[in-house]
Amino acid sequence: MAILRKKITLKLPTKFFIGDSLIVLISLIFIVFAFKAFWHFETGSVVQVNFQGKTYGNFSLFQDKKISLMGKEGESIIEIKDGRARFKSAPCKNQYCVQQGWIHFTGQMLICIPNEVSIEILGKSKAYDSLNY
Amino acid sequence: MRSALKYWANQKLMTRSIIKIKTTLLDHQIAQMSAIAIGLSLIESVLPSPMPGVKPGIANIITLYAVYRFSFKTAMWVSVLRVFATSLILGQFLSPAFMLSLSGSVLSLLTLYFAIKLPSKFFSPVGLSVLSSFAHIAGQLILVRIWLIPHASIYYLIPIYGTAALLFGFINGWITYRLLQHHNSI
Repeated sequence: MAILRKKITLKLPTKFFIGDSLIVLISLIFIVFAFKAFWHFETGSVVQVNFQGKTYGNFSLFQDKKISLMGKEGESIIEIKDGRARFKSAPCKNQYCVQQGWIHFTGQMLICIPNEVSIEILGKSKAYDSLNY
Repeated sequence: MRSALKYWANQKLMTRSIIKIKTTLLDHQIAQMSAIAIGLSLIESVLPSPMPGVKPGIANIITLYAVYRFSFKTAMWVSVLRVFATSLILGQFLSPAFMLSLSGSVLSLLTLYFAIKLPSKFFSPVGLSVLSSFAHIAGQLILVRIWLIPHASIYYLIPIYGTAALLFGFINGWITYRLLQHHNSI
């Protein structure tokens, strides 16, 4: 017992927490840095429209435009306005693509599977996403 | 020949000895601390978590406590035994969850090994706990990156896990500090 007791070199500091404050401060800086580095959302400039497995075309987001696509189910209308894009209307049953609303960040995507239409926002660099892995 | 065998069997029966394992003080410390750590781990596994991997890690209080109260060797044993025993009890032995837990613990222990060499005048369990919880999540993320999800998209999670590590590391460290103070052992 005595031998074991002797081994103890660590002591509890009574009032000084300088080291701890330093560690906490550094980790806070790291977290802020991580948020800035990995969570920066870039506003895209181009929307890519995919239709029936092929790229239908790339359209600038800085224009007012309505794209009408006739698919198997019916007509899908894509609207581009104020640097954003959305599905204005879709013929599918669930209307998931319409209800997701406007998208404008790089890497964001809207997909309508029944009508085989998808739109994706592109920017200068390709953003990470789990779909293109 | 036959009688010799009989004699031998008889002797064997007569002098049946009880196997006694000699335990040292270290063994007792490890056993006690591990038991508490496993208990805490099991309690924690029942608690719901907002996203996989974000857990308070209250069993690390025991690891840190063992470092201060006893020795680094005890803490190492406690931590590794805890990982193995908990995964066996929960039925996740050798599953990805177990591997993540192990990699996190190993890196966190490695960090503690160097952290306890810091001047203890300025560094309390709070700082050490924050350091080790960061190491823990780093170990897990490295394994996820190279083995489970080999894709860069998991970098999105670093800020969330970092925040959780700081928060829970701080709380765990504070609890350890109060425990050590309360026991007035050092």
